[in-house]
Amino acid sequence: MEKIKIGIIGGGIAGTALGYYLSLYDNAEISIFEKDRVGCGSTAKSAGTVCLFDDSLSNRYWDVRLYGFETYLKMEQEEKGSAGFDKTGTLVVATTPEVEKVIKTGIALAKAAGYEGEYITDKERIKQILPDISTEHILGAGYTKDDGYFDGTMISNTFAKKFKQNGGKIHTMTKVVKILKEGNKATGLETADGAWHMFDYVVDCTGPWSRMTGEMADVNEPVWHTKAEAFFLSPPGKKLNYTFPVLKYPAFYALRAGDNIFICKAHLSMDLNDPMHAGNWNPDEIPATGGTDDYFIEFLYEQLEATVPGIVDSGLVSSWLSYRAETKDFLPILGETPVEGYLVASGYGGNGVIEAPAASRDLAKFIMTGEKTPLLEDWAFMRLAKEA
Amino acid sequence: MRIVVCIKQVPSSGDVTVDPVTHNLVREKAGSMLNPSDYNAIEAALLLREQLSESGSDCKVAAVTMGPPDAQEVLRTAMAMGADEACLLTDRQFAGGDTIATATVLAAGIEKYGAYDLIIAGAESSDGATGQVGPMVAERLSIPHIAMVQEMEAATDSLIAVKKMNGTRIKLKASMPALVTVRYGANEPRLATLRSRMAAKKKPIVTYTNEELGLPRSAIGAEGSPTVVTESFRPEIVNTCEFMTGNPKEIARQMLALIEKERGNS
Repeated sequence: MEKIKIGIIGGGIAGTALGYYLSLYDNAEISIFEKDRVGCGSTAKSAGTVCLFDDSLSNRYWDVRLYGFETYLKMEQEEKGSAGFDKTGTLVVATTPEVEKVIKTGIALAKAAGYEGEYITDKERIKQILPDISTEHILGAGYTKDDGYFDGTMISNTFAKKFKQNGGKIHTMTKVVKILKEGNKATGLETADGAWHMFDYVVDCTGPWSRMTGEMADVNEPVWHTKAEAFFLSPPGKKLNYTFPVLKYPAFYALRAGDNIFICKAHLSMDLNDPMHAGNWNPDEIPATGGTDDYFIEFLYEQLEATVPGIVDSGLVSSWLSYRAETKDFLPILGETPVEGYLVASGYGGNGVIEAPAASRDLAKFIMTGEKTPLLEDWAFMRLAKEA
Repeated sequence: MRIVVCIKQVPSSGDVTVDPVTHNLVREKAGSMLNPSDYNAIEAALLLREQLSESGSDCKVAAVTMGPPDAQEVLRTAMAMGADEACLLTDRQFAGGDTIATATVLAAGIEKYGAYDLIIAGAESSDGATGQVGPMVAERLSIPHIAMVQEMEAATDSLIAVKKMNGTRIKLKASMPALVTVRYGANEPRLATLRSRMAAKKKPIVTYTNEELGLPRSAIGAEGSPTVVTESFRPEIVNTCEFMTGNPKEIARQMLALIEKERGNS
C-alpha cells in the first residue's frame, strides 16, 4: 500500500498526539518538526487539568473530555508517571444557577461513565474538602476524588516515545522556515538547514505560533492569543495539611504544584476585545519566568480575598506568562484550510491537554481515510474563515 | 536604628552583550530582576529589624538603588518584602559607571538620604560579580566593613557578624556605622505576598538625580570609571538530556545509577 506522507510542524501536545494517532496506521509515514524540545513550549506552561466536570469545555463535548482523561489514565497504567498524574480531585464551585446546572449535568455524565461525583450544598462539607475556602455567596460545589491534573510535557514525551516506537521521526531543534507549494497545494516544507522535506500533507500544530506558520502557507489562520499568567504561591505555613483539590471558579482556577499553589485566570473569562486579555503577540519573546502583569496579580488577589481567604497571604514564589492560542468562539480549528494539503490542529486555547487526544484521533482518521467526524465538522477551520 | 540596603537591578537572562564601542552592557533586550544576593541582604535587614523590635528598639529599613528609572521595580520588590522606604538614584550621567563610579554615587545618595547606622548589600551581583561595590561604598563613607557575612546581630552601637572562611566560622565585631555584604544563601528570604505587593505599589519612592547629589562628572559614569569591561561571553554549554519517568523514588534510583555511571562506578 502506498504510504501517505505527513509533516507535522510543532512538537507540543498537539503535534505529538497527532503524530502518535497517525502512527497507528500502517500506511502513514510521519515526521514531526520541533524548533526546540518536545513539549517545552506553551505545553510546558499548561496547568494540565483534565477535570471530569468543569466549565473548561462545554458538556456538548463530554466525549472529548472523557477520551482525553481515559487516554492519560491508560498511559499511567502502562507506565507510572508517564502522564504526570496528580490525583487531587476537583472542586467546582457554583456561583450562579447557570453554573450549577452545568456542574450537575457534568456530574451525571461522569457517573454514567463510571466515575464518582456529587453536588454538595452542605457548606461545612465543602469546607472539610477545602478548609481555606469561603462558602459565602456560593450555591454549592461539585466534587470528585477521581480526577486531578496531568503534566503536558510528560504526556507529549510519552506520545513522542510511542510515535517513535511506531516508526515516526522527530526532528528537534529544527525550525521550519518555509512551506513549499505548487499552486494552491502544500507539497512539503523547508527547514532552517536548507533541507526540503516533501509531504502529502503538512499540518500546523504550532499553537500560539499558528498565525506565523499559516503565513508561510498563505493561510490567514484565525488564531489570537489570550494571556495565561500563572502565579505560584507558597501558602502561609509553607505547607497545607490537606490535599488541595483542583479548584474551579468561573473566573479563575487553582491547583497544587508540589507544596505550592498554582493559580491562573480562567481562559473562558477572557474578553477577546480587551487588550489586557487578548491580542496578537510574538510567543518567541516570552521569558521563561516572569513577564506577568500587575493587572493579573490584582485580579487574582481580589478573587482570593473573596473566595479563598485562607491563602490570600501566601508568598508569591514565581510567575510565568504563556499565550493561549484562542479562536473567537474558544473552540479549536481542525482540519482542512483553503490551501490543499495544508491542515491545521490549533487554537486549543487553554484546553490542549484535554482536547488533543480526541481531536488528533479524528484528524488522523480524516488524513488517512478521508472520513470526517462530527468533531471535525464542529471545529472546522472554515467556520471561522470569514473572521480571519 | 536606621538600616540602608543597597540593591541592584540585574538582567534576568544570559542574553546580555557588551557594546564593542562603549563597552557597556547592552541590557535592553534582557528582562530584569533583583540581584539574587540582594534578596539575602534585604532579609538580613528585616531579621535585624525583628530582633531589635523584640527588644523594644525602633528600626527602619530603607532600600536604595542606582539605576535607570525602571529600577524602581526592584525597590518595589524590596518594599513588598518589608522594607519601609525606598530611594532611587537615577541620572543619565551615572550610566556606564564601573564599580568605583557606582560606589561614589551610592555613597553620596546614602548620605543625602539621611543618617544611617548600618548599610547592608548583597555580596556580589549576578552580572558583574566583582564583589567590590559594597566595600568601596564603605571606603567612600570612611566606615568599617565586613564582607561575605553569614549572620549578624546588632546592639546599640556595634555589630557582631559571623562569616565562614575555609571551613571555619569567624565572629567579628564592628562599631557602627558600618557596612556588611551578605553572601548569597546566607538566609531564606521571605516571599512577598500578593497583599504586600499591592501595598508596595502605592508607597512613595524618593528620587535623586545628580542635580541633588552634586557629584563632579569626572567622578561618575563612564567618565569617572578607571576600569572598563571589554568583553562578555557565554561559556560553551553542552546540552544532553535524558528523560526519566516514574514516581519520585524510581526517578531517584535512575538518577543515582546515572551519577554512578558518570563517575565510572557502574
